Amino acid sequence: MEFNESTIDKLADLLMIGLTPEENKMILDEFAIIDKNIDKINNIKGIENIKPMTHCLDDFKCELREDIAENSPSIDDLLANCKKVDGREVEVPKVVE
Amino acid sequence: MDKTITELHEELKNNHVTSQALVDEAIKKSHEVQEKCNAFVTILDDAKGSDVTDDLLSGIPFGIKDNYSTKGILSTGSSNTLKDYVPFFTATAIENLMSHGCIPVNKTCMDEFGMGGTGTTAHTGVQKNPWDPTRMTAGSSSGSAAAVAAGVYPFATASDSGDSIRKPAAYCGIVGYKPTYGMISRYGLFAYVSSLDTCGVMTRSVTDAAIVVDAMKGIDPKDMTSWDSSDIHLYQDLTKEVSGKKLFYIKEIVDKNHYTNLPRETEEHLDNFMKTIDIVRSLGIEVDEVSIDQDILNAIASTYVVLGCAEATSNMSNLTGFSFGPRGEGNSFQEIMKDHRTKGFSSLIKRRFVIGSYVLQTVNQERYFKNAQRARRLIVDTIKEQFKKYDGLIMPVGTGVAPKLDNTDRVTDDELTPLEEHLQIGNFGGFPSITIPNGFINNLPVGINITGNCYDDQNVLNIAYALESKMNYKNQIAKEVK
Repeated sequence: MEFNESTIDKLADLLMIGLTPEENKMILDEFAIIDKNIDKINNIKGIENIKPMTHCLDDFKCELREDIAENSPSIDDLLANCKKVDGREVEVPKVVE
Repeated sequence: MDKTITELHEELKNNHVTSQALVDEAIKKSHEVQEKCNAFVTILDDAKGSDVTDDLLSGIPFGIKDNYSTKGILSTGSSNTLKDYVPFFTATAIENLMSHGCIPVNKTCMDEFGMGGTGTTAHTGVQKNPWDPTRMTAGSSSGSAAAVAAGVYPFATASDSGDSIRKPAAYCGIVGYKPTYGMISRYGLFAYVSSLDTCGVMTRSVTDAAIVVDAMKGIDPKDMTSWDSSDIHLYQDLTKEVSGKKLFYIKEIVDKNHYTNLPRETEEHLDNFMKTIDIVRSLGIEVDEVSIDQDILNAIASTYVVLGCAEATSNMSNLTGFSFGPRGEGNSFQEIMKDHRTKGFSSLIKRRFVIGSYVLQTVNQERYFKNAQRARRLIVDTIKEQFKKYDGLIMPVGTGVAPKLDNTDRVTDDELTPLEEHLQIGNFGGFPSITIPNGFINNLPVGINITGNCYDDQNVLNIAYALESKMNYKNQIAKEVK
């Protein structure tokens, strides 16, 4: 998929954000630099044989916690920042017509 | 408020001052600094002093970066998408701190959600450097840096995903400490790049940094990446006995002869770094120049950009404007969400999301995201190989002093990128890393950074502590350059 103005608009749409023509151009320009610089990584000899690093700590162990029931936040707390509430629920427009 | 934590504690214990008087002074000073530097999202005018105990932090006011959740207190991440968000819980790091009796008096501005290094993208405007208001503080912990440097209080919390604690510390002439990844719980810290995000602190002395991180740290069942540091006592074990330690710096970044067109200010910065290395050697520390493959150094900035954009795209997908944040306008849920996100995010953030989304697409992952993750391992392994021989890496911070906000003195040169961005190595490896001030260029502060291997925080702090004691920049308050 080529990175052009049309691709940027499609991605922005999927991300649920609108872009001005100026913002679209800014992204295009910045990506051109990133695309050029990424070759600095891709040209490193043997890069394809290195295991991708996803976590800082080599000795990190993912341990499951005990399954202990805890009190959940109150509905009132959870809805306190919501602008449109219907009783105990977040009010949204009709999703299924 | 121009004193250290231990000095303030003595004054409180001896009844020379009350906690309420310190809080009142910090609030008054906050308003002055807000006028001059625009450092705060919120000033807590009704903050109350606390009981003074034997705990060093009791009764002392402090600031909180606005990406830490604080129950009942506006927490915006300096974004319009959360401009009216008031959390119902407090971040573990802040809960831990407040259990020691210290008192938050403000929430500090930052680059939106931590995505920036300039202090110019907060929804409430640009932060200005207290040494020279025509210059930037750097970011993302811009407000915390300005406030601590201006003497509002002895410390403020901060966070660091690329260099967001350690570069603003240098530009503002203070101490910035990013501990080993996971030493402080990230529960309640707004996520940006989860695999790099680290909580930390900005202070005016190494001792204060040790005291505050001792209080913030600890394993937390709510953060699976936190670890048990109960056997680490940073303040108690601080020592200037560092003779026999070994440090290295990277030749390709520090050697002036390596550059074809070095700006005069950067040349002075590198000269000043070498003078500081002489002081380090006078402490009995061996310092070696080590050569690192230029290809690896050139990959640092690109690796950070790709990883940062990719993880941020994912982390910010919960910002819809439905259950919190300002509700968008429209007739369908798609229109409402799009309106919220379009109006809420700044252009910089949108840029990162689009690029992040592109590099995560299946057809693009190998070229961009996976190779950035591979480069991350290569960079980290290269530095860790050196940590087998050395106690730490010592480097100058950035290319010099804080740049002008109008960008008139901004130098953009590919050659200088590794010098500007090498602190990101600390995030890739989760390494403990501290910046301390090491002098002035044109009356503006510059900094030096010490980074060590994971879990070796005590060693890093001890070296910084010993070096700080041999220079004259401890606990300095910003004096505006006329």
